[in-house]
Amino acid sequence: MKTLIIEKIEPKRIGELVTVGRILGETPDLLALGEGEVPGTYPRAYQCPETIAANLVDGVADLIQRDGYQVVLLSATTLGSEIAGRLGARLKAPVLSEVIEVKPDMTVKRPLYGGKAVAEYKIQGNPVILTIRRKYFEPAPLEGTTAAAVFNVESPSVVLLSEEQVQTQGVRLEDAEIIVSGGRGMGSADNFEVLREMAGLLRGAVGASRGAVDEGWASQTMQVGQTGNIVAPAVYFAVGISGASQHLAGIANAKCVVAVNKDEEANIFKRARFGVVCDYHKFIPALIQALREEQ
Amino acid sequence: MKIAVLAKVVPDYEVPAGDFELAGNRAHARYTRMIGLYDENAIETGIQLKEKYGATLGIVSYGQSEDVPILRKAIAMGGDSLHLVLGESDDPYVIASNLKIALEQLQDVDLVLAGQQSADLDRGVVHGVLAEMLGCTFLAQISRIESDQGRWTVCQNHESGSRMLQFSGKAVLSITSSPENVPRIPAVRAIMAAKKKPVEKLQGTDAPPMQVEEVKVEIPKLESVCEFLPFEDMQETSRMLLARLREERYL
Repeated sequence: MKTLIIEKIEPKRIGELVTVGRILGETPDLLALGEGEVPGTYPRAYQCPETIAANLVDGVADLIQRDGYQVVLLSATTLGSEIAGRLGARLKAPVLSEVIEVKPDMTVKRPLYGGKAVAEYKIQGNPVILTIRRKYFEPAPLEGTTAAAVFNVESPSVVLLSEEQVQTQGVRLEDAEIIVSGGRGMGSADNFEVLREMAGLLRGAVGASRGAVDEGWASQTMQVGQTGNIVAPAVYFAVGISGASQHLAGIANAKCVVAVNKDEEANIFKRARFGVVCDYHKFIPALIQALREEQ
Repeated sequence: MKIAVLAKVVPDYEVPAGDFELAGNRAHARYTRMIGLYDENAIETGIQLKEKYGATLGIVSYGQSEDVPILRKAIAMGGDSLHLVLGESDDPYVIASNLKIALEQLQDVDLVLAGQQSADLDRGVVHGVLAEMLGCTFLAQISRIESDQGRWTVCQNHESGSRMLQFSGKAVLSITSSPENVPRIPAVRAIMAAKKKPVEKLQGTDAPPMQVEEVKVEIPKLESVCEFLPFEDMQETSRMLLARLREERYL
């Protein structure tokens, strides 16, 4: 299958898509978005400084038709979701989003109902546009760099006014081996301080459920779940998180989940490896003290 | 200013995995039906724009007649009119083609708002497809919208932060949740009044679906067995937990 990856210059994301591309055939070509060196080696690479998907669709559609790509791979991120539907409709191509499994015969799986069910599809037409859910495929190591051909965007319709990167202290959520996440049970924004302290001691990152983000207690970049960050840490501490399936969908590949919740009936205990049924106000400070004693 | 919000009625998305069952590859019919959660964020955003700019707000859906009583919540929240295209397809191209019928009937819609993704199929595809069919701009995961002399300024939330974008003309925007667009709870009087609003029902159309065959749908098993730790002495439990995590090489 002649495959094109479209992704920002972020080695882990590109690496995951290279892995998926190799399931379907040889190493794919790449359209790298953003500035900097293009990591990895590809039969053919293009580079475009533009990262606003709305401005890319026309050029990308032409490229796919001109070069006869049969598969287009994107990550299931804001960029991927912004480009996939329009591109699919333009090319009259099937679009399958949030894909979690790919087989060489073009059978793919994706979750439904907040991760409570998984559907399998057989793709018949091509080209096909797939967005791949993060953290389901091991990123291929990208060696060397590729000199990329310049890909230009003509007459952009959407203008970038400003960009705000949320500064994370310490480890980035998506790279963290330990994540300490808080939910509605935290009760207030101030209460997240204990989770930050705990994450600091464990050299991990702090996450949050959608409930906590909607309350304004945590920034949206901290959100873990189906529609937030998909993470796969070694240990995921879920503190005051009930464990809605949409949240569990974001931690499906976490190796060990530790749940701290007052409610012994909370759904999170069905996913947890270790559970502590108690008020987090009592347990987390004790855990922090135990971690301090070890240092 | 004319705004349309796309709303989809779905089975209760808060049913826990343990209670969830399928019938014919879809959620069993016994679950309560409701408007999807991101769709409600989109409705709330639409109402705020109505209040700020004096817009009219049409609620547009593709589904079955039984959905009407549920969709009326959007009217009770502040929508002006309800437009339902009748049909049962789950195919994003068929859905988008049908939504387009209602939008064309509404005429001169400036802005179409949709939830980030539906609360049943979890796809986030229909709105982008629709934008392409309408030939207009599409931006995903928008949390704030402002209008200034025909130009729109919007805030887009993405994985590592947010950015402000500006464009002119018609657009389809997918709306993400934020503390500012938590859906309002309609007053009883508004719910009663919404029951009397006429609903425009439109006959759906056959459109070519995607060339994809749904082979099967399964419920994955949750195989984790939770080891509950004692909670009498928290210091002891903490040390025990850390020891167990190290023993099993997670830490």
